[in-house]
Amino acid sequence: MIGFTTLVRREIVRFTCVFTQTIFPPVVSSFLYIFIFGFSLGGRIETVQGAPYLVFLIPGLIMMYVIESAYANTSSSLFISRWANNIEELLVTPLSYLEMVAAILIGGLARSLVVVSGVYAVSLCFVRFLPAHPAVMFYFVVLVSLIFSAAGMITALFAEEFEHLSLITTFVITPLIFLGGVFHSLSMVPAPLRWITQFNPIFYMINGMRYGMIGRSDASIPVCAAVVLVLFAAFLTATVYLFRIGFKLRK
Amino acid sequence: MPPAISIKNLTKFYRNRFKALDNLQLDVAQGQFFGFLGPNGAGKTTTISVMTGLANYQQGEVQIFGKDVRRDYRQTRAMIGLVPQEFNFDPFLSAEQILIYEAGYFGVDRSEGKKRAEHWLKFFDLWEKRKHDYKRLSGGMKRRLLIARALMHDPAILILDEPTAGVDLELRYHLWSFLKELNSKGKTIFLTTHYIEEAEKLCTHIGVVHQGRVVAQDAIGAVIHRLHGDFVELALKTPVYEFPHQVGEVAVTILDGGKRLSFEEKPGMVNRVLQLLHGKGIEIEKVDVRRPKLEDAFLSLTAKSSGGGA
Repeated sequence: MIGFTTLVRREIVRFTCVFTQTIFPPVVSSFLYIFIFGFSLGGRIETVQGAPYLVFLIPGLIMMYVIESAYANTSSSLFISRWANNIEELLVTPLSYLEMVAAILIGGLARSLVVVSGVYAVSLCFVRFLPAHPAVMFYFVVLVSLIFSAAGMITALFAEEFEHLSLITTFVITPLIFLGGVFHSLSMVPAPLRWITQFNPIFYMINGMRYGMIGRSDASIPVCAAVVLVLFAAFLTATVYLFRIGFKLRK
Repeated sequence: MPPAISIKNLTKFYRNRFKALDNLQLDVAQGQFFGFLGPNGAGKTTTISVMTGLANYQQGEVQIFGKDVRRDYRQTRAMIGLVPQEFNFDPFLSAEQILIYEAGYFGVDRSEGKKRAEHWLKFFDLWEKRKHDYKRLSGGMKRRLLIARALMHDPAILILDEPTAGVDLELRYHLWSFLKELNSKGKTIFLTTHYIEEAEKLCTHIGVVHQGRVVAQDAIGAVIHRLHGDFVELALKTPVYEFPHQVGEVAVTILDGGKRLSFEEKPGMVNRVLQLLHGKGIEIEKVDVRRPKLEDAFLSLTAKSSGGGA
């Protein structure tokens, strides 16, 4: 266990020692999102799903930062290690491949939790409410964070250049987040888009989170929970497999 | 008692189908100071990469102290301390943290890791620089930090890939005496080097690898004694740019950019070489005859297995 906890500590040290790049930006931008969309524009919308727009918005925003932080943490950590070649330092240790993957995933989870706490603290400046179902909220924060931590690791293994990491963010993750219902309810979009949204996995993540925080959702919670669990199992298996075969890690 | 390293029929292709290792065989006994010599691209670093888990391989069996590097990879890696050729430090950590984290990865708890880090930082004269990140260290300091890192978990075998490349003479001699002392305490040492003198001074046994195969492996004296005759060295008045690497069965080594030729003395050999030189219009300035050295054995072995002759 010492080897595993050492790697977890290293992953946490890595993002905390550059906190101005990893922690501050999402917290600051969440303030802007909440202020502009929730507080200013949202004031013109009466309620969504029976909740004030500001309250409706915050769970989606938190899920957005969970996803972005987790993905950014592991993709940059692993890619930099490959790029600087210090991944070799890790590969020659007696850690099992599962331990290596799990420790890096926990690093992504830790960064998500720190960022989420910051965003939640910012939201308290505008509106105060306690999570309706804390256990459900915790389930979605943890599993979604682990899913996107694994996705970040897979991207870092395939990537040949730094730009490849941001390509996935720009062309896959961000569109899926925005179309997944961070800012809107399913009832607010045209029917064709509503139908397409059912195939967007992030829709289930956001709605699971929204149910956990404010008790409202556009999707069935057991379905949301199942989607997240299946994705977590799939991404974890794929990541451990890639480490085991040494994909772009071993010569 | 199993050998420290046992490699049988190891074959390794890279993705471009380049055959880096070709049925390589190697045995290193426990406690040996083993020199693994070979020209650039011969397969030295690839062999080390396979042993340490940094490279996959297609065929063969590789064991460290009787444990298979694939099946029992956690046990084999725990027994190895690797000093790589290139600096591969964690860019987010200071010199001291690099050592403490390394110990942790190998299961050494943090307080013990701190003690060991202090010991090695002081031993390698890096204590004053312990809070610096590695980019601020000189080349020699980085090299010492690499060695300190490899020793943090007190491995049973220390593998050093060109440890003295690019270091000044003073540090080289310091490292030599340190490595000899480590070996005298029972640690198995596996060293690759370009400096034949280094292997001669340090190693009890050597293996010569060429084109992915081990072409000789024995005690240093035994490898040299394979060359039965003395060595002839010809100093030329004008350099020879093209000359066969083998004349009959004897390898000819071209030295100093063609200004000198060296070969093993065998019946009729001097005449044949002189005739070839005469045919090229090249005159001899000086002839020396001397006892063979490890360098001669190395050059002879690697030239022979390259093929080609006259």
